[in-house]
Amino acid sequence: MTNLKILFTVIATLGVFTFVANVIPQVQSAVPEEIILTEDTTPEELAAIGAEVYAGVGGCTACHGLGTRAPDLVGVVGGTCTTRVEGQSCKDYLWESLVNPTAYIVEGFAPIMLDQSRTLDGAQLWTLVAFLESQGGEVTVTSDDFAAALAAADAPPPPPPAPVDPADIDPRQLMVAQGCLACHSFEGEGQQIGPPFEALRGLDPEYVLRGIVNPNADTASDFAAFAGTMPPTFGDLMSEAELSVLVEFFVTGGQ
Amino acid sequence: MRVQQTVAVGTAKRWLKRGAWLSVLALAVAVPLLAQVPGPDYGEFGIFGLDRRDAVWIAAQLHLLFAAFVLGVPMFAVVIEAIGIFGGDKKYDKLAKEFTRLLLVAYSATAIWGAILVFFLSTLYPRFWVYLTGIFAPSMWLYAVMFFAESFTLYLYYYGWDAWSKGAAKKVHWVLGILLNVWGTIVMLIANSWLTFMMSPPPELTADTAPQSVKLWSAIANATWMPINIHRLLANVVFGGAIVGAYAAYRFLTSETDEERAHYDWMGYTGNFIAIGALIVLPFAGYWLGREIYEFSQQMGITMMGGFMSWLWIIQAFLIGILFLTGNYYLWIGMGRIPGAERFQPYIKYMLLVLVIGVIVWATPNTMIADRDEIAAMGGQQHPFLGVLGVMSAKNTAVNLMILTTFLSFLMYRQANKRPVVSWAKAGTVLQFAAFAVAAAVVLFFGIRGYFVTAIVRIGFSVYQVAAVLATIVFVIGIDVAMSRGAESRGEIQWGKMPPRSQYALLILAVTFTWLMGLMGFARSGIRQHWHVYEVIRDTSEQAFTPALGPAATMISICVLIFFGLVGMIFWLGGLAEKSVYEEKDA
Repeated sequence: MTNLKILFTVIATLGVFTFVANVIPQVQSAVPEEIILTEDTTPEELAAIGAEVYAGVGGCTACHGLGTRAPDLVGVVGGTCTTRVEGQSCKDYLWESLVNPTAYIVEGFAPIMLDQSRTLDGAQLWTLVAFLESQGGEVTVTSDDFAAALAAADAPPPPPPAPVDPADIDPRQLMVAQGCLACHSFEGEGQQIGPPFEALRGLDPEYVLRGIVNPNADTASDFAAFAGTMPPTFGDLMSEAELSVLVEFFVTGGQ
Repeated sequence: MRVQQTVAVGTAKRWLKRGAWLSVLALAVAVPLLAQVPGPDYGEFGIFGLDRRDAVWIAAQLHLLFAAFVLGVPMFAVVIEAIGIFGGDKKYDKLAKEFTRLLLVAYSATAIWGAILVFFLSTLYPRFWVYLTGIFAPSMWLYAVMFFAESFTLYLYYYGWDAWSKGAAKKVHWVLGILLNVWGTIVMLIANSWLTFMMSPPPELTADTAPQSVKLWSAIANATWMPINIHRLLANVVFGGAIVGAYAAYRFLTSETDEERAHYDWMGYTGNFIAIGALIVLPFAGYWLGREIYEFSQQMGITMMGGFMSWLWIIQAFLIGILFLTGNYYLWIGMGRIPGAERFQPYIKYMLLVLVIGVIVWATPNTMIADRDEIAAMGGQQHPFLGVLGVMSAKNTAVNLMILTTFLSFLMYRQANKRPVVSWAKAGTVLQFAAFAVAAAVVLFFGIRGYFVTAIVRIGFSVYQVAAVLATIVFVIGIDVAMSRGAESRGEIQWGKMPPRSQYALLILAVTFTWLMGLMGFARSGIRQHWHVYEVIRDTSEQAFTPALGPAATMISICVLIFFGLVGMIFWLGGLAEKSVYEEKDA
């Protein structure tokens, strides 16, 4: 009898846990599917692809959804997008938020977002707009919107840029053009999301270079809360000469 | 008595030898052969309706559960033996030896399930197995060597117990116990490096990197290796204590004499004390691990805490709530057998209230996936009222107050039958009370203040809350130890005078700990999603998706049921062997 009671205790405890875990909302993590974007793609399919970009290559969830770094978007932005800028449609607002994110800053948040057209192609950006519109609103993105993006994707790749003499590269201009000051500060300008560039003075150039091309390899302890925010794409966005000039500029303290 | 041990241990020894040989044989055969033979990416499996992932899941989970037991138990067996040696009380030595006897049989089960896991991995995931061996082969050989060292030391430790029971020989025996822990810990560190590599591979690794070109140390010392090591070390102690508690509960409930009941009541109390004591510090190790996961990959961190796994943490809060409530309930029942404990009874209802409120706050959801209708019904992504309780400020406050309350239960239990005689006893009690009050005030202050500061400042507040609780625990224990010197007794603890429901509470604790380990294992493994090695080697099998919590919970329950079935069989066989020897002697 005692053994039966013990068996019952074990099974009943397991039964309660299994039951509770089965009655809560069930969310399965599916494997991302490769979907080909064509002019026949429906708004629902666009939004579905955009959801993958949002959670995957776009890296949007690194900030959105935490409620602290950036506004929560899922489920609401499709409704709030029309109320942000008077006279601007939801689609236009969302597109602008992706390619010119500092044009409008939601109250209570810092201007830390980078121009997403530097890391995502036009088609991906339009799928993102479609996904965001679907979060509480209606998808209005059409094939006309992303036709130009598809054409650009089909076009032959541009020829590699001609070699540039490092002496012709202005590191200050490059720093501004690459949007570094959206997160870092230099001579009193910029943001405090990452370490100020003055702190790089005298450091090993290789260490600084690694911080640019592989920013998640090391994170300064004072900025650990923002780890992962910096896109790992700057190595592709700048030429070897530009990277070299920028690193030299940082380690010499802007000389 | 001597004959009785020989029968039980003889069975254990045979199991042990078979298990150990199987495991090492599996490594020895599988590593060189499969590393050279090309073949399909995945093998087929279809027994009992299980697929290849189910098979590996069950084998890995059961291997881990037995392994956690055999790593956790030696830690406190050695500590208890030391208490016996340096304190001079023989009952501690007997208890340590009984713990070790459980270890022998569980060790064989660990090895058997380890061998099954290696066979499953190498036959069902051959391509990935070859990849892993390409990187980790030297560490696998070291693992085998350490496994032998651990086995040999365990033999010496257990079989030498009576032979080396006096003088310097006893201390040498104790050192053997320490060595057993060292080898076991190294084995765990090596195995942890394999699984943490899959979670957080070195940043320079890409899908095109040849495994042979990966530096072994960079693969071992990956971002989550050390946090997992610390977390598992502590969790193993918790788990070992809980299973010992379950064993004691089983033996208590089936005992026929008061003497046996007294012994197993004390053993159950000790196991539970170890489990809950280690559990108190476990959340801090978990916090570190979570932080490292975020630092390694924001994406992975968000998947874990705010993505498709967000509901898992509600289940975790539910389970930990059960652990806290059941653990405290056991202690409160236990006070019934301690003369003098009645003076604490009036406070228990308030402590229960704090625990219940704490559990409710901790289990309040915050950021989680919801569909459009659910969001519309709530009026936003967070519930208008519950959203306030679902944030980290409230949760950190709740869990720290629950830890303080549980520590208070232990303190009351410890002080129940003592009357301090030191001149400063009254001041000491006031100081202890003040320490609790200050810690609670600090926890509440930073909990409330957290609502009015930025996220980066709020994250730092949790450190102050944790520091206040830990400092109080250390400070209060220090005073208590000093105050207990020469204390008068209000009466001996009536070991064995416990109602059966207390023992069922111990069983529920063990089942809950075990299930929680399964759940956290699913979380750790599941956040890789469709990757064998996160963002390096993609899982292209049909089972690449990560299941929802319901199917995962069912699988965890199956594993736990098999585990307790095997453990129950081991307990039963041990009792059967003892019984037959008693009957033989009586005849």
